[in-house]
Amino acid sequence: MVFKVVADLGQLSTIREFVTETATALGVDPAVFDDLRLAVDEAVTNVLTHGYDGSGDIELDVSADGSDLIIRLSDQAPPFDSTLTKSAGSRPPELKEKPGGFGLFLIERAMDKLVHRKLDNGNELTMIKCGVIGGSAASDTS
Amino acid sequence: MSGNLEIGISREDGDKAVAIMRLTGPLDANTQGTLEEKAREAIDGGAEYLLLDMSAVEYLGSAGMRAIHAITTMLSPDEPGMRSSRLRVVSPSPAAAKIFKTLGFDTFIDIHNNVDEAIASL
Repeated sequence: MVFKVVADLGQLSTIREFVTETATALGVDPAVFDDLRLAVDEAVTNVLTHGYDGSGDIELDVSADGSDLIIRLSDQAPPFDSTLTKSAGSRPPELKEKPGGFGLFLIERAMDKLVHRKLDNGNELTMIKCGVIGGSAASDTS
Repeated sequence: MSGNLEIGISREDGDKAVAIMRLTGPLDANTQGTLEEKAREAIDGGAEYLLLDMSAVEYLGSAGMRAIHAITTMLSPDEPGMRSSRLRVVSPSPAAAKIFKTLGFDTFIDIHNNVDEAIASL
């Protein structure tokens, strides 16, 4: 299912709702809904605040691949700064006066695989949650 | 589902000036500024301690955590290491509590089950 919108931060709530509804329709284990909403919210927030200047076109494509859930977020923002797509590492970002990097750190913990790809006119982030469709979730969400 | 964050504020002015902020709605990048603004108003209005009642926060993301971090700095600007003893968090949802733990905030912010317990800890 695809959701295309000229997004701004005021639509984050609607975007999270789309994730819940789509995951429900695809038969995703509800135990991972919080992880999915968190990952999508953080990814869209990163695009809107770092890629665009607060507002721009995004496309969210949520689909199933066997028991895996695939969430693909694409935008038409300038190519990502590679420092924003580098793994956040195993420890939480340092707490300094204006801390950053929390979003990517949380996405990496909420999802099982992340793939960044530069497009001709934007960026694409694919986030995968494994083993959450059809039967008990294989993924550890503790 | 509303994307707005509503904040009700009450005061407990016993031995210590405490502002209790009851948050209702999502705490995300869209509402982060609202929380910081209301906290600043409460502190400028004389509150020495803040309680954030998060029992009705339907979503918490990293932007909300940055707001909470900013509040610890507002409350204790001279305290090294951002370890605020003037902020209490009450009743976060399991998902929100998990974010506190994942980002390490549970090591420097006390989390309580209810407002009475939080006030008693001050």
